[in-house]
Amino acid sequence: MLLRTAWRRAAAAVPVAPGSRSEAPTRGLRLRVVDHAPQSAVPSDTATAPPAESVLRPLYMDVQATTPLDPRVLDAMLPYLVNYYGNPHSRTHAYGWESEAAMEHARQQVASLIGADPREIIFTSGATESNNIAIKELESAIQPDTSLVSVMTVNNEIGVKQPIAEIGQICSSRKVYFHTDAAQAVGKIPLDVNDMKIDLMSISGHKIYGPKGVGAIYIRRRPRVRVEALQSGGGQERGMRSGTVPTPLVVGLGAACEVAQQEMEYDHKRISKLADRLTQKIMKSLPDVVMNGDPEHHYPGCINLSFAYVEGESLLMALKDVALSSGSACTSASLEPSYVLRAIGTDEDLAHSSIRFGIGRFTTEEEVDYTVEKCIHHVKRLREMSPLWEMVQDGIDLKSIKWTQH
Amino acid sequence: SLIDRSVSLPPQVVDHYENPRNVGSLDKTSKNVGTGLVGAPACGDVMKLQIQVDEKGKIVDARFKTFGCGSAIASSSLATEWVKGKTVEEALTIKNTDIAKELCLPPVKLHCSMLAEDAIKAALADYKLKQEPKKEEAEKK
Repeated sequence: MLLRTAWRRAAAAVPVAPGSRSEAPTRGLRLRVVDHAPQSAVPSDTATAPPAESVLRPLYMDVQATTPLDPRVLDAMLPYLVNYYGNPHSRTHAYGWESEAAMEHARQQVASLIGADPREIIFTSGATESNNIAIKELESAIQPDTSLVSVMTVNNEIGVKQPIAEIGQICSSRKVYFHTDAAQAVGKIPLDVNDMKIDLMSISGHKIYGPKGVGAIYIRRRPRVRVEALQSGGGQERGMRSGTVPTPLVVGLGAACEVAQQEMEYDHKRISKLADRLTQKIMKSLPDVVMNGDPEHHYPGCINLSFAYVEGESLLMALKDVALSSGSACTSASLEPSYVLRAIGTDEDLAHSSIRFGIGRFTTEEEVDYTVEKCIHHVKRLREMSPLWEMVQDGIDLKSIKWTQH
Repeated sequence: SLIDRSVSLPPQVVDHYENPRNVGSLDKTSKNVGTGLVGAPACGDVMKLQIQVDEKGKIVDARFKTFGCGSAIASSSLATEWVKGKTVEEALTIKNTDIAKELCLPPVKLHCSMLAEDAIKAALADYKLKQEPKKEEAEKK
């Protein structure tokens, strides 16, 4: 015990968090050249390596799906992948103590971003697991007067921001638990679990420039919210989530949260400007483009546009230099068009014509301009190929046609 | 849903968009032109296929326009290529399975080739319908 205390004092002198705010990442059109020659980890005797192929990769405009690691996050994680590899639950040696210290520091970083106490943060494998823990809590605590409200903070398809503070207020006054999946919101818009009266919150690492495979659930202590563990085992994370906490991953999550807290205002301003640039340029050059989702209560980095008379997947195929996503049925695993667009009352043909543009911390102005230019060009081209566009130009009302069904 | 299928498009499919052939329209009012319009905007798939037939019943020209995914565009484009040079009877034998095979369509895209076959048949039916009243007129004379 004494040994550990002494070690702690010494370790406290060494900073674990990422250092002072470094310069913003370099800008520039990133049509990156990648060496696709497979590299073997084991050097072989039969020498001659295959000739290196240079391949251009698409621009990345799909940040709602996932985000790249912020370099500062990788810097924070690397020591824990290489040197400080101890199990954070090992109580008897320095490897365990240093790993535990890193884990607790990360916990503080996550808590600080959402105005919570570190004791209210439980690490999980991601927001999906956190959602399951939150909902299962309802099943185990069912009583006539218990219920749970669960609302996404920011929607991942259309970027709409829900009135979380108002919902929290209503739930609190009616003594109903309030859970929010904040995967797309944490680190992007200001959140405070106390101001907004949130009882449970799901957090995802890979949506905020952190590593994949890690997330957290915020569980309110006062008044206490009881959850039932999904997985049982050694009782880690206060018994709420057994399993060795993956130190490198949670260090990454913590670093991502701290960086996000520092960059939030700057990112939001820059992303808003780029988002306005994208939508205005497109709307100025193309008729019959609809933005899906409330324009006022909206997170700027997620822009969902419907290009009438052009089907979404064909536009994605045409925009092969840009990584994007669509609400069209053809691009979904279930062959159903986006349920989100259906819920907000979008006409079905416009749902098939929707494209989601994601603008993130590392998106450059050149990337936006390139995407806009290609988008305008290919929408015009696809409209020339579209029988619907032709009929509309001829003055036909599409709603008056009796369409065949296959 | 915005979960993308991790199936990249076969190059044959992309080729029909990047190097389009037979995109456009024929004169709908002409008696030698048959027009087929199949599908529905609410389904995300609409194909318009037109054929121009000469006096001997041979398809000499074909055009298409499609609102749909890459596979739908490619299927209808291929359909216009295949009907050209065939007689009206021969064109009826074009099967969706042949279109799908030629374009290497995955199972989830087979319905695109089916719609293309429907479009061919609809165009042929429209052409046939236009010929009948004229036959009666000729017989009267």
